[in-house]
Amino acid sequence: MYLVRVNMTDRTYQVTDIPEAYRHLAGRGFTSSVVAAEVPPLCHPLGPNNKLVFAPGFVTGTSAPTSARCSVGGKSPLTGGIKEANAGSSWAADLAVMQIGGLIIEGKPSKKDEYWGIHITWDGKPKVEFFDATQYTGKQLSQVFPAIYEKFGERISVCSVGAVAELGYSNAGVVFNDQEKRPTRYAGRGGLGSVMASKGLKFVVLDRAGAPGVEIADKALFEEGRKKMIDALRSHAITKPKGGLNTYGTAVLINIMNEAGGLPTRNFSSGRFEGAPKIAGEAIFETVKTRKGKEIYNHACSPGCIIQCSNTYYDENGEEIASCVEYESDWALGANCGIDNLDDVARMVKLCNEYGLDTIETGTTIAVAMEAGVIPFGDSKGAINLIHEMGKGTPLGRILGAGTATTGRVYGVTRVPVVKGQSMPAYEPRAVKGIGITYATTTMGADHTAGYTIAPEILGVMGKQDPLSPEGKAALSRAFQATTAFIDSTGHCLFIAFAILDIASGYQGMIDEVNGVLGTHWTADDVLKHGAQILKTERKFNEAAGIGKEADRMPEFMKTEPLPPHNQVFDVPDEALDSVFSEL
Amino acid sequence: MIHIDTWLYGELARYGGDKNERVFANPQVELPDGSCLADLLKALGMDTNERGITFINGNLSAMPGLQPDLNHPLKDGDRVAFFHLRSMWPFQYRHGVTMIPEMQQAMLQSEDLGLHHAYDAEEEGQG
Repeated sequence: MYLVRVNMTDRTYQVTDIPEAYRHLAGRGFTSSVVAAEVPPLCHPLGPNNKLVFAPGFVTGTSAPTSARCSVGGKSPLTGGIKEANAGSSWAADLAVMQIGGLIIEGKPSKKDEYWGIHITWDGKPKVEFFDATQYTGKQLSQVFPAIYEKFGERISVCSVGAVAELGYSNAGVVFNDQEKRPTRYAGRGGLGSVMASKGLKFVVLDRAGAPGVEIADKALFEEGRKKMIDALRSHAITKPKGGLNTYGTAVLINIMNEAGGLPTRNFSSGRFEGAPKIAGEAIFETVKTRKGKEIYNHACSPGCIIQCSNTYYDENGEEIASCVEYESDWALGANCGIDNLDDVARMVKLCNEYGLDTIETGTTIAVAMEAGVIPFGDSKGAINLIHEMGKGTPLGRILGAGTATTGRVYGVTRVPVVKGQSMPAYEPRAVKGIGITYATTTMGADHTAGYTIAPEILGVMGKQDPLSPEGKAALSRAFQATTAFIDSTGHCLFIAFAILDIASGYQGMIDEVNGVLGTHWTADDVLKHGAQILKTERKFNEAAGIGKEADRMPEFMKTEPLPPHNQVFDVPDEALDSVFSEL
Repeated sequence: MIHIDTWLYGELARYGGDKNERVFANPQVELPDGSCLADLLKALGMDTNERGITFINGNLSAMPGLQPDLNHPLKDGDRVAFFHLRSMWPFQYRHGVTMIPEMQQAMLQSEDLGLHHAYDAEEEGQG
């Protein structure tokens, strides 16, 4: 595998073999290790010393199902700490097929307002060419992507950033093409889009023509693992064709979380939203069925996915509004803003995709602005207008684009749902205390993807602790975070977790696939150790950046304001939170 | 008589009065005093195996294949919600939520402490 370093200060590049220290790292393990080794923890996230790192997973680019994820890493402008965000796209698979195990963007051009693209082709090894991309700046992304496909051909895949990244917003994501060549697949969280734009980089275009593909050390073992994984995904009720995710998408969780009293509503002031059924996955599926005159099941975000959870939402005339309305986006821009107009929620998703905004941070920021009285809760047209303000870079838009914590500070709001500067996703920690422990302690800032449950063996880590006690929950969170860091390194989508948790052969299949590619003999124990090492590396970077255990805390209001309908506060003691990393 | 605020989601909405409804339904069901959850199912005309995740007043009371709530007594004003079998609720997103006592006990007694998505191995295997 190759390491490609691109220096944006002088627009040069180097292609070398992957250094020995990184040889058995991929995805999040790779990006976090490079950031920890090469980025000064106290550097400015948008300055010349930060780096943006791309890495496909161990099995990305192979025929392993649901594995086209690419990790993006750097120091986050939103949290000030280490960040890994990932997305599913053909771009990830193409990077791996071109045998690029890591792409590091470093430096910064001296001239402002000049933007470049890089076009990577295969010429016996990866070859990088620069092109002037200044003409594509300041525009909506759906206008820009077709021009890039026209310039470089239909076979390419595209990574880019939107206009808000050019403005340096802390909530700007990195976007990748979907299967329809639309700019919709985001490595959204933490403002990495602005890191990319700060380097004068607008596009990374990949053309895989002639590339050799991923080398597989033990093909028989890989095939065995792949087959186990396919069988698990195809048979599990949640991941199989026409199963839960393929039918209703991730928004199938809206009604569940609402009934549980854990759907954050109107800026985390309640756990239940009376308009939830109108914006839930069931409503999306039935509305599309009515408007298109037939049942439409969801599609894949990237090649080779069996789960296929991405929807497309249409207006009353059957014209596309947005793809896709995910649970988190639906909640952030819907329930959390008191908005039950599904068409307007979809319009806001579309606008976030157009301007390059992270939908979660955008929704939580608008909700804080609503709490401050900028517009009333429930005002969907006003919310759409605020997104336009962000996209256009007005003074108000720039405040909102700096994220939820900054907006709360500007308006003197005390109910600000953030950890380490990153806003909370759609699971209320006062109702779901286990996820609260993960929100508080993950290196990423509040993050719902940091602690997935992937194998029942994890229970072994608890010993004799009561799983319902704070200490038991903390032990589980630690194990969840470590195993999730491993999945984030495989290139598999986290949603394989649903199937491999219930179907043990699927879990073994994942390990077999990785061993097959690398020629290693890793066991289930090694998975946990590999993940734990990633967490330690990230934690060390954060501590050196001034983000220690004091930052592993929930916002004060969650400890003092009881959340309806269960009227609970977040009461996990600090000692339990501290044990997550002290016992890692 | 007791009055139950009943919520039926997705495919189960057809038991709410309009057999063509598939988004949600919110029938208000009257039951005799002393009724339990099984009586509510009977009144709705819904087989217990058609439902998956279930809540009573926001407290988890059943999961696919694990239904310790059938004899749970209902009282006037209870909110009961039934989900179809294509719903899901991953463990990490329900770890530490409130449950009815019968469910909490059933989870703690299960071999895996309730980590899974479904509890009927035979049904899961058949997919």
